[in-house]
Amino acid sequence: MIDRIAGAVIFMISAAAFWVARDYEASFGDPLGPAIFPQMVAAAAAILSIGLILRPDPNPKAQPLHAFIRQAMTLGVLIGYVLLLEPLGFPLSTMIGTTCLALLFGAERIKAGLTGIAVGISLYLIFDTVLGLPLPLAPARFG
Amino acid sequence: MDILTSLLSGFAVAVTPLNLALAVFGCFAGTLIGALPGLGPVNGVAILIPVAFAMNLEPSSALIMLSCIYYGCMYGGRISSIMLNIPGDEPAIMTTLDGYPMARQGQAAKALGISAVASFVGATFATLGLTFFAPLLAKAAIHFGPADYFALYVMAFATIGGVTGVNPFKTLLAAMIGLLLASVGLDPGTGTARFTFGSFHLYDGFDPIVAIVGLFAVSEIIMYFESHAVAGTGPAKLGRVLPKLREVFEGFTASIRGAVIGFICGVLPGAGASLGAFVSYSTEKQISDKHGTFGTGDPRGIAAPEAGNNAASGGALIPMLTLGVPGSGTTAVMLALLVSLNIQPGPLLFERQPDLVWGLIAALYLANVVLLVLNIPMVGLFTRLLSLPQWLLMPIVVMVSFIGIYSISHSTFDLFVMIGFGLLGYALRKFDISLVPVVLGLLLGADMENNLRRALSISGGDFSILLQSPIALVIYGFTALMLAFSFGIAMRRRPAVLDK
Repeated sequence: MIDRIAGAVIFMISAAAFWVARDYEASFGDPLGPAIFPQMVAAAAAILSIGLILRPDPNPKAQPLHAFIRQAMTLGVLIGYVLLLEPLGFPLSTMIGTTCLALLFGAERIKAGLTGIAVGISLYLIFDTVLGLPLPLAPARFG
Repeated sequence: MDILTSLLSGFAVAVTPLNLALAVFGCFAGTLIGALPGLGPVNGVAILIPVAFAMNLEPSSALIMLSCIYYGCMYGGRISSIMLNIPGDEPAIMTTLDGYPMARQGQAAKALGISAVASFVGATFATLGLTFFAPLLAKAAIHFGPADYFALYVMAFATIGGVTGVNPFKTLLAAMIGLLLASVGLDPGTGTARFTFGSFHLYDGFDPIVAIVGLFAVSEIIMYFESHAVAGTGPAKLGRVLPKLREVFEGFTASIRGAVIGFICGVLPGAGASLGAFVSYSTEKQISDKHGTFGTGDPRGIAAPEAGNNAASGGALIPMLTLGVPGSGTTAVMLALLVSLNIQPGPLLFERQPDLVWGLIAALYLANVVLLVLNIPMVGLFTRLLSLPQWLLMPIVVMVSFIGIYSISHSTFDLFVMIGFGLLGYALRKFDISLVPVVLGLLLGADMENNLRRALSISGGDFSILLQSPIALVIYGFTALMLAFSFGIAMRRRPAVLDK
């Protein structure tokens, strides 16, 4: 079933891409223009997605709820980390991010905290100081 | 003779202190990445590409480091196969069959020794093949026109799933998704903005490196919670570290057979190391398994697949370097590195940048020797590292990939794109759709389109030019054959499954 849903979604995306691409205009000396190739690919994708709808594979095993919750939380940590990276500066946001991830991967609290501090500082030193790659250090000033 | 002089000048490039140090580092890091379950060669190379950028390495040095990582991964994958019965990476699956039983009998050192020697045989054979075969192929490929290249790309996409037996619809679909993603951004021919939805961030299209790290590394992190819930069977004891010399050469002839078979599998488009290991093992089993000892710790059952997967990974470098069409996931990632360094792989690479190509080949010979040393006397170090807890390892992997990507453009937009690709990669894995064709599509899309447009502007818009060259016709014929074969296998294996 899930393959059929995926097939339907991909079919709609490729149909939309085909339709959007029709406006791209060719220029002189380029008989094909920018539209035809994406349209060829979109058409092939649409045909193949019909194949997926007609001949789906058996459903994959659903993950248990606790795994799903952890996955969602991991995703949240990753997004939060990116949002905080520039406002908080690299070392601090990395310490927080690493600690949260270590907890999600099953570390004890103290070990997770220590890992966070160690990883935050050492990665900053390795990348910024040794490899000469400027990373935001201090929290950016707000306003 | 020509080849030997080129190779000598290659060694001159490879033995500069920096390149030598990078090669040793690459071998060590690669063995470690390969040995740790869950971090395969694709992930390892993808994560370290931005690091290579950050170090401002010369293209040849960057390529040497990453190729050594790649070779190292192939050596390292066997360590956790043998010790934990968990393959360190996909091609090492076959090594669990005889490697783990032998380790359980208290002969772990012997199993590790045999497999290290077999890896050496396989990888050296492939490097020899690369040395002599790649220049020939490059010479032939100079005669390829745009229509022939278009045919070659069609073949690469049609055969990438190859004979692996997964649903061929899905593999082809994955390639199309990649090609569509590749057309996002400004069209180089006309400057038309395609599929950008008015966002300036998308005008340059998706950076393949950002996409690759997202697709492989980020999705691996999310996948981890459902795939690694299974408990292992407990590590085998290493016992004595150094195996006896005589023991190590048991199965030596098996590794030579495995190397030949693996190399052929590697050169073929879309087959890669896993297939090399699989075919080598099953062939060896048919030839040698007279007393039913395979699966219980037969040395030949360790030697053949290890030689096979190492030979295949070396072989896969050949189409990547000479044609610009990678033969496996990891070589696709290395192609992304070359493209990002403004190096166009292809037949002209051997003429225009001999230092790069021959430096790489020479470095691979050295890498094999380094890896043999790392993997026999020093193997105890890696087996001890296997007990590193995942909660320590995974966050570090995440952080290194994020810094790496951030360092390319200093934009958090790229990091969000990477997370987006991570989710896409997770969804595709969940649907059992292979990620390699997506990457290949994203990487080769622009070139495929350019060659098509070039061919048609030569012919003034007449599509029949695509079928006029004999080279293209041969390639299409081979493609059709491979496609028929893989659909045939898929249909026979799985008569239409219908939802209940």
